[in-house]
Amino acid sequence: MSASGTASIQDGSANRSRGWLALAALWAAAIFLIDTFSPLDMAIAVLYVVVVLFAASFVEKAGLLLIAGACIGLTVLSFAIMHADNYTLSATMRGLVSIAAITVTTLLSLRNQEATRSLRDQAALLDLSHDAIFVRDTADIITSWNQGAEQLYGWSGVEAVGQQAATLLRTRFPAPREQIVAEVLRTGRWEGELVHMTRDGRLVTTMSRWSLQRDARGRPVATMETNSDITERKRAENELHQAQADLAHVTRVTTLGELTASIAHEVNQPLAAIVTNGEACLRWLRRPVPDMGEAEVSVERMIANARRASEVVARLRALARRSEPVHVRLDLGEVIEETVMLIERELSNHGVRLHMAIAPALPPVLGDRVQLQQVVINLALNAIQAMDGEADEHRRLRISVAPNDDDAPGVAITVEDDGPGVDEEKLPVLFNPFFSTKKDGMGLGLSISRSIVEAHGGRIFAARGDGTAMRGMRFTLVLPRARETVS
Amino acid sequence: MRLLPMITIIDDDESVRVATESLVRSLGFGAKSFASAEDFLGSPLLGETDCVITDVQMPGMSGVELRSHLRARGDLTPLIFITAFPEERIRRQVDAAGTFGFLAKPFDGNVMIECIDRALQARSGPAQL
Repeated sequence: MSASGTASIQDGSANRSRGWLALAALWAAAIFLIDTFSPLDMAIAVLYVVVVLFAASFVEKAGLLLIAGACIGLTVLSFAIMHADNYTLSATMRGLVSIAAITVTTLLSLRNQEATRSLRDQAALLDLSHDAIFVRDTADIITSWNQGAEQLYGWSGVEAVGQQAATLLRTRFPAPREQIVAEVLRTGRWEGELVHMTRDGRLVTTMSRWSLQRDARGRPVATMETNSDITERKRAENELHQAQADLAHVTRVTTLGELTASIAHEVNQPLAAIVTNGEACLRWLRRPVPDMGEAEVSVERMIANARRASEVVARLRALARRSEPVHVRLDLGEVIEETVMLIERELSNHGVRLHMAIAPALPPVLGDRVQLQQVVINLALNAIQAMDGEADEHRRLRISVAPNDDDAPGVAITVEDDGPGVDEEKLPVLFNPFFSTKKDGMGLGLSISRSIVEAHGGRIFAARGDGTAMRGMRFTLVLPRARETVS
Repeated sequence: MRLLPMITIIDDDESVRVATESLVRSLGFGAKSFASAEDFLGSPLLGETDCVITDVQMPGMSGVELRSHLRARGDLTPLIFITAFPEERIRRQVDAAGTFGFLAKPFDGNVMIECIDRALQARSGPAQL
């Protein structure tokens, strides 16, 4: 608001109070005339109370005292005019009652003014806050709305008060709303991130703090919600996460690329030597007079080079062995619960709901915790990404862990999605290395997953939904139960 | 006058170098090999060789740099390049007058013989004038 705007409003309110003051004076004059010149034997002066009450709404403390004084003065004056010669006790009593009524009303009005001012000051303080602050009653109806809320959401106080908060702001809660309300009722407060829609349709993320107000008997009356805008911070955080994920992907790809180039060169050199030695050997033998000595040396060199090539392969194997898996007894239910924590961010980023079913008392499995988690994360991420094109309500990921008694006793983990699924004819090659249905996929995830599962003595297979009971893909991995160890 | 054309082989990988030298000798040529371009440039064979078969990527001076070096001093010895990384970028670098081959390792013996034959013909042509 501009300075001149503020001034003109003050001018306006000053004009208005002058008008009100004139009206009050008119009232007082009328009462004085009736009191003084009508023959009614009544405490007409009590009506001055109306003048005081009326004035209290637009004059400050000093003005009100002045007006009250004037009313008492008029009462005394009219008593003097009327009863100067015929003084009676009852008339005196009536006069005193009127004066007492005016005095009491003035004092009460002053106290009321004081309370109103302190309330106004508090509301003004709320307006100073940069946070959006509003108060909702138990039916979620907005009863108070500060300037911060006006600025953040674009709705003015007049528009917002009386509306249902969650409807007006299209609030997206991080947990079911009933759960949050239950927590507020239990502990008196709640804190969390909410997504709101502003008047012009923008989505804002806020850090929201709720505090419950109770009446004297402990019944909940209202909730004060203080929301600070963290949209920018969230966006920066998300971008950072994305950048880190991209970097990790690029690093993986380049490392693999460099490794592949280096292995290829290391193996290619001895192979090239073998081929050239072979060619030379043939030519020594095909000479008019075969040179057996040279041919023999060529063959020896071929053998030496073939050995060198296999040494390269052996070195690679040793390198791979350095990260040899550690097999321990595992509760796959626990492993899956841990795994789910690692994919929570992906689930929320892709708007996917997770349904988990972990059977109790699962038989133990012998395996490498990290490797098995990698397999499940890989399956889950594939499933999450496969549902990107689906409607919100269809983005469901189901992970279950249950005992498996089909052939060999063990545990089966299934990962199911509601995505479009893989074409029937591509199912047999799904686990092949370098096969991918993703545009920038490397086609190694499922192939590596299968290697890991098979190294655990288990198996992994995929099935396509028939479109009724299951829409997308189901991946099942079955691991044998750990044999009881005698110890 | 020398009876046998002399062919120089330069490759930092010993197994490939020795094998190539053996192949060249089996064809009835004289052959001498070096582990680096620098070794070759410092040898008395410089100027005496009829054809150079050189690896492209080597520690120190590369095959492409060797050619620039030779041409700068007016040496027009024909060159055949061999490489483990047969990329188009490198092919463009070596593709110039006096280059008689760009072969990926492992190369085909017959292709190498054709390259050597063409190189030696080009070499003997102007010499007879």
